[in-house]
Amino acid sequence: MTDSIHLSRLRKWFLASPPIEFAITNLKELLIGALRQGPIPQHVAFVMDGNRRFARSHGIETVEGHNLGFEALARILEVCYKSGVKVVTIYAFSIENFKRSKFEVDALMDMAKVKLSQMAQHGDLLDRYGAKVRVLGRLDLLKPDVLAAVNKAVDLTSRNGDRVLNICFPYTSRDEITSAIRETVEDYSTPLKSTNGAGRTPFSESHITHNIRAQNLGTKHHDTNSDSDSISAESSTNEDDPILRNDYPHRVYDSGSSFSSSTTLHLGQQDGHPQKGATQGNSPEPAFISPETITRQTLSDHMLTKGTPPLDMLIRTSAVERLSDFMLWQCHENTEIVFLDVLWPEFDLWHFLPVMLGWQRRISKSRQNPEAEGNFAGDSPESSEEDLDARVLRQGKVKGI
Amino acid sequence: MPSTSRNTIRAQIRNKGESLTPADREALLKPYLPDPADLATSRSARSSRRSKSKQPRKTPIRTFIKSQVHRLAYALTHIIFGIVVRLIQAYHAVVDRILAIVYHHHRTPELIRKDVRSLKRLPQHLSVILTLRTEDDALAVLMDEVAELTAWCTCAGIAQLSVYEKSGVLKSCIPALHQIISTKLASYHGVSQQPSLQLYAPHHAVHGNGRETIVDLTKTLAEMSQNGKLSPEDITPELVDAEITEITAHPLRNGGSSSSRPTNETGAAGDDLLKPEPDLLLVFGPFLKLDGYPPWQLRLTEMYCTGDRSHGATGMGTRLSIRGL
Repeated sequence: MTDSIHLSRLRKWFLASPPIEFAITNLKELLIGALRQGPIPQHVAFVMDGNRRFARSHGIETVEGHNLGFEALARILEVCYKSGVKVVTIYAFSIENFKRSKFEVDALMDMAKVKLSQMAQHGDLLDRYGAKVRVLGRLDLLKPDVLAAVNKAVDLTSRNGDRVLNICFPYTSRDEITSAIRETVEDYSTPLKSTNGAGRTPFSESHITHNIRAQNLGTKHHDTNSDSDSISAESSTNEDDPILRNDYPHRVYDSGSSFSSSTTLHLGQQDGHPQKGATQGNSPEPAFISPETITRQTLSDHMLTKGTPPLDMLIRTSAVERLSDFMLWQCHENTEIVFLDVLWPEFDLWHFLPVMLGWQRRISKSRQNPEAEGNFAGDSPESSEEDLDARVLRQGKVKGI
Repeated sequence: MPSTSRNTIRAQIRNKGESLTPADREALLKPYLPDPADLATSRSARSSRRSKSKQPRKTPIRTFIKSQVHRLAYALTHIIFGIVVRLIQAYHAVVDRILAIVYHHHRTPELIRKDVRSLKRLPQHLSVILTLRTEDDALAVLMDEVAELTAWCTCAGIAQLSVYEKSGVLKSCIPALHQIISTKLASYHGVSQQPSLQLYAPHHAVHGNGRETIVDLTKTLAEMSQNGKLSPEDITPELVDAEITEITAHPLRNGGSSSSRPTNETGAAGDDLLKPEPDLLLVFGPFLKLDGYPPWQLRLTEMYCTGDRSHGATGMGTRLSIRGL
């Protein structure tokens, strides 16, 4: 026992000696730089598991274990952002964790408050270097003082660059999915103010009217052109275009209203339609957007992670091989899930590197069929294009090897 | 990280962050921050973020050498990593082959039961993700795999097995699949004492993936809400859970719907109590990817990736009993 303590002290002393430390720092830099040469996951999630077990096995207090875990987080964030990961999502606190001992919950909350308020003190520094901090979860379950710290940190970092740090604070995935469903239902049960029965298939009907009008009038090319433009834009919502898909309901509504105005203005011979609209407007039940237009993308846009690239990789430490209610919806199709047999406070570049290398290897290998690997629903169009380009370039390099 | 500064930070953590002023902390942080000039250029050239040619112009030769060194390091690490991965794969393949021979069950339920007995706990509900291969007889292979797995589960005493297959071919050949499984069971247990088998495909979306169940539920809820039968506040995790459980775990009510992709089948006799959430999910593939598996049910499921896909179902039981749990 004493031997091992002496050995570990010796090792620590050795590793902390200036030349070795210099060499290690440089080696890390080199490896991160090397990683940047290959494809890099855009969105990585971590389940920071093992803080308590680490504390228990090293005979220190649980809270101290959590603190060491925070250090590990800082280390790994540095690696991630330096190597080009855009979004990092961490599972900081589950709603279930409120069931733990009051002492531990309070300590965790304190820690979160201290860290977040420290962040807030360095506003300008974070502006220049930092990532946007976003806190996902049931903020209503937090105490007011913690909530204030959260809001301040989120506000202060909201103007930062393109890197994002998602902190899942009181979070469970089932809760998130349920909220998404609830919000979607709320969206869809807000009645439309004016409808003409075109809610279900607005494109084709307006198209038909315009065709008829074009036939009747013979001229007015300008008008029909602009309208067919809008129609094509709307029909492209059926593709995987999150931005267009996002305001889909509004578009439906817009096209409906423009249609009704055009019918009342120009199409005197089509009396049936405005009357139908009027009867519907008068009838007690208001008109809604058809629920059939709800898609996976609609729900994804109501998830807490909306607007971030799809999850490429999920890493859970401490060899527990389950998701524990984290990112169920997100880590779902092309996400590589990795379970590592290492406690979170020990997690470092050396554990992360093989995972990244494996991912790069896989992505490079699947270059033959690029549509199979990336660019699925939710990928923001510009980043995916840029990424595909970059990937093609890098793939050439990998092939050279 | 210099150990002195680390100790300072730790001391500061213990004092709840009150021993250092913000300025002190910024000074501590300074050496780790990137150079402001570096950052500015990387921002201006964000569109070509990772291309090394857009580095600051001040030291072109140094940056060029640096980028070349990085490229070299990338190549080297990947070569070494590739070799290591190949070696590990080869090792596992050999070990698996040996274990498969040593522990071959010869289709005898007793041997499988003996293998399983040493396990501390056995999943009630096992789930597997299978993939359709590209060969001509892919469907036959897939159905044989399913049958083999079912037979193994009946022997091991696993009451429920769910098979998920992405493309959904299994749903179209349920009768044929039932036939194949029955034959397989007969070859394991003998014709006389075959365990009862329920095979069903839960009501499910036409195509797409496991998220569709939740989308469908949302559609129904939205419609109800539009008709004033439900207020959005009523939607709780419990309600969603109950509904999804209903749809995936009650075969008779929704059974027989032909438009389902994940095929559930229940092997073994006994209780009809079905667990909607699998205890263990096996992924036959080189890495753990859920491939569109229904997300809601996976909350507490343990996942295990078998590493490669070549072995299929035959070696599965063996490996399961040796390392899987």
